[in-house]
Amino acid sequence: LKPEGESCLVEVLDRLLNKGAVLNADLIISVAGIPMIGINLKAALASMETMLDYGLMEAWDRDTREWYARQKTNTPLEPGENALFKTFGYLWQSNGISGSWVPGIWYITDKRLILWRRSPGEKIFEIDLQRIDAIETREEIALSINRVELELRYNDNNTARIYISEPDNFIRSLEEVCKIPAKIEIPSKV
Amino acid sequence: MSDEARYLYCVVKKEEELLLGNIGIEESSVYIVHHKDIAAVIHSCKPVPYDTTDHAKAEGWVLEHSYVIDQVMKKFGTVLPFSFDVIVRGDDDTIRCWLDQNYDNFKEELDRFENKSEYSVQIFYDYDKYVSKALTSNKDLLSLKEKIDNQSKGKAYLLQRNLDLKLKDAVSADVRKQAEIFEKEIISIANEVKADERPLFKPDNKYKDKNLMASFSCLVHIDKVELLGTVLEKINNLDGLAVRFTGPWAPFSFVDLEGAKT
Repeated sequence: LKPEGESCLVEVLDRLLNKGAVLNADLIISVAGIPMIGINLKAALASMETMLDYGLMEAWDRDTREWYARQKTNTPLEPGENALFKTFGYLWQSNGISGSWVPGIWYITDKRLILWRRSPGEKIFEIDLQRIDAIETREEIALSINRVELELRYNDNNTARIYISEPDNFIRSLEEVCKIPAKIEIPSKV
Repeated sequence: MSDEARYLYCVVKKEEELLLGNIGIEESSVYIVHHKDIAAVIHSCKPVPYDTTDHAKAEGWVLEHSYVIDQVMKKFGTVLPFSFDVIVRGDDDTIRCWLDQNYDNFKEELDRFENKSEYSVQIFYDYDKYVSKALTSNKDLLSLKEKIDNQSKGKAYLLQRNLDLKLKDAVSADVRKQAEIFEKEIISIANEVKADERPLFKPDNKYKDKNLMASFSCLVHIDKVELLGTVLEKINNLDGLAVRFTGPWAPFSFVDLEGAKT
């Protein structure tokens, strides 16, 4: 295979705006990314979703943009805390006789287990690892399909219902960081 | 503070001062100032960034910047390319002084890129072919698929969704595994490889029906380019795969002047 000497416009823009040497010093007046042009052109490179975000951003003032930049990188982690495992999943929130599955990102860190909703950033559930007593699997029927849910026991007598589509790694990671005994039998699949 | 400024395109090995003509942004006159055997490719400008909300205009600027780097590369070889819109406050002497202060740093980077260029490699795969592959190699998935045919409409729909998700997972696991193998092969040939984290696009019609498996920027020695081509050819010939191989480019993904002073 011989290399082609042609790149498309998007590639050229990516190279010139996101790569290449940049200097950070007093004498430097500008680097791409600070002025509007960086944002505008980078928008052309981004996915549809981000592009919408950027489109909205044009009208925003500086403070809003800064807030947005923080939101983009927001995580529930505290300084010095490391995420060990991250997966999309749900938590059952019971509300008397009714209830609902609340989606979010499950973080297992070296300190806590957290369910994090990104936008607006909010911790839906959090528990110190020391307070976790056990994690077990249960087979439940949802929408006429059998599926595996997780039951987390914590603070002595509390339980939380969790659903994650591929729970194996989640369970393993949690057991490892909490040093809780394994009680896992993954029931046969559908 | 000086009211003059210089727009930086790149740094190059050159021991003389030269005029390159009006090839710069908005037809600016691009020229070279040197210190010892290294030089900066610049044009004279006002101390304000290039900034506009007009997309077409901005794209034009970026392409003009890219054009200058291409020309310099063709004429003088190895370059340290700058990102768009890097402007230094001061005059030609400021630039000479800056080259002097960073001489070792720049020289070292230029030597590192001697006889090497950046190449871009993208590997695409055919999703449907990978699905068939997953179905033939995974008994659980196959039996689930067979089960669907005997169900009522409603249940079949739910099972189908379930199967689709599982297939997606199986394909992505397979794709990840293969990408790692290819990456290792490429690493054994290239001097440096960086996986592009945020692949942006489908370049053209040729790859329209395919998904991106992996995207790498590779710093490759001139003597190894052919070998890389051979390896990529091999991957390209595998069923359900297509490789896009472009270059040579200036080492945009590898240049690092973090320590530079001004």
